[in-house]
Amino acid sequence: MHTVSIVGEDASVLLERLVGRLSARGSLATITKRSSVSSQASPDDITRIEDSGDITELPAQPAPGHENAIHYTAAGADVAYGHAAEGWSGYGTTDRSIEELIDDLAGKYDYCLLEGHTGGAVETIAVGEMDTDTPLLEIDDPETCALEPILEQIDDTTPHVTLETLVNDVQTVSAESQAGAIATFTGRVRAKEHPDDTPTEYLSFEMYEKVASDRLDTIREELEAREGVHAVRFHHRTGVIERGEEIVYVVVLAGHRREAFRTVEDGIDRLKAEVPIFKKEVTTDETFWVHDQADQQ
Amino acid sequence: MHWKLFATLREATGHQEVAVEIEEDATIRDALDALLQNHPELEDELFSPQGELYNHIRLLQNGDDPFLTGDGFDADVGPDDELALFPPVSGG
Repeated sequence: MHTVSIVGEDASVLLERLVGRLSARGSLATITKRSSVSSQASPDDITRIEDSGDITELPAQPAPGHENAIHYTAAGADVAYGHAAEGWSGYGTTDRSIEELIDDLAGKYDYCLLEGHTGGAVETIAVGEMDTDTPLLEIDDPETCALEPILEQIDDTTPHVTLETLVNDVQTVSAESQAGAIATFTGRVRAKEHPDDTPTEYLSFEMYEKVASDRLDTIREELEAREGVHAVRFHHRTGVIERGEEIVYVVVLAGHRREAFRTVEDGIDRLKAEVPIFKKEVTTDETFWVHDQADQQ
Repeated sequence: MHWKLFATLREATGHQEVAVEIEEDATIRDALDALLQNHPELEDELFSPQGELYNHIRLLQNGDDPFLTGDGFDADVGPDDELALFPPVSGG
């Protein structure tokens, strides 16, 4: 899922134009970050928003027709969904980060546009006078700017991938009807090997991008050539990954469980042995490259 | 041509990518000499006290291992080539 945040006073103008174009290219989700002013929106505001079609200032209310959601969440439900023939709505009270929302959407949508979100790993497009760190693009006039170059930039961003993205993707292959098994491997940052070890704070990964991607393609083709293995997918994150967070996924779609399990194991083993990725470990006491540590042991 | 350096080797030089000038008929050995001239600090990272390239160091030419698929140090290097040096991989 290509994920980009539009920031700046007139972000909504550009966002609305982009929504029309992106939804023609693929499935699209939007996340609107409410400003502090509109958080005090009154019921009158709802009417105004319905009239104007303004999507930038959603008040803290569920979609019209799903007002019961408020009662259920007030009574203790963490999230309440409404469902009707014409659509559905979700209303949650729990403290969920934008990152968690993006993770949830990544398996289902091709694009995610955020409005007004800065920080984290999400790329931004700055509209008008906006002091943003290294935006992907800076747009002066959101009403008249050409959209094609922006769409190209969005397509060039590194997609946000979760385990669910890969699990959904393998099920789109044509041999899917002969597949009775999906096996997955998730590698995560282990804080300690033994209970009294110095805990790992984070790992930092560096990748020889082009060669890594070629190697992974080769491994994938070789594993997919096995009898009964229909699809194999890999994803390895780079940069800083904190303890408890996920690093790598391997997903296999196969006819039966045995070839699925075997291929997942061989896939992660070959990734670790053959793909040019380098891991630096930072514990509370020290920093070291993991291959150096392995030499010492 | 240019070199790509990763992990400990990138940190030793402070560069991910190093461009070096080579002659028309240069080999990998010439390109490596040119790199070491610019970055003598790599000497200890790459070579044993006997002057041998450490076994654990990998060298790739345009993504392929010249010691498996070509003439090793004697393989020709062109001006558009990418040579890479890195320690053992440790992904996952």
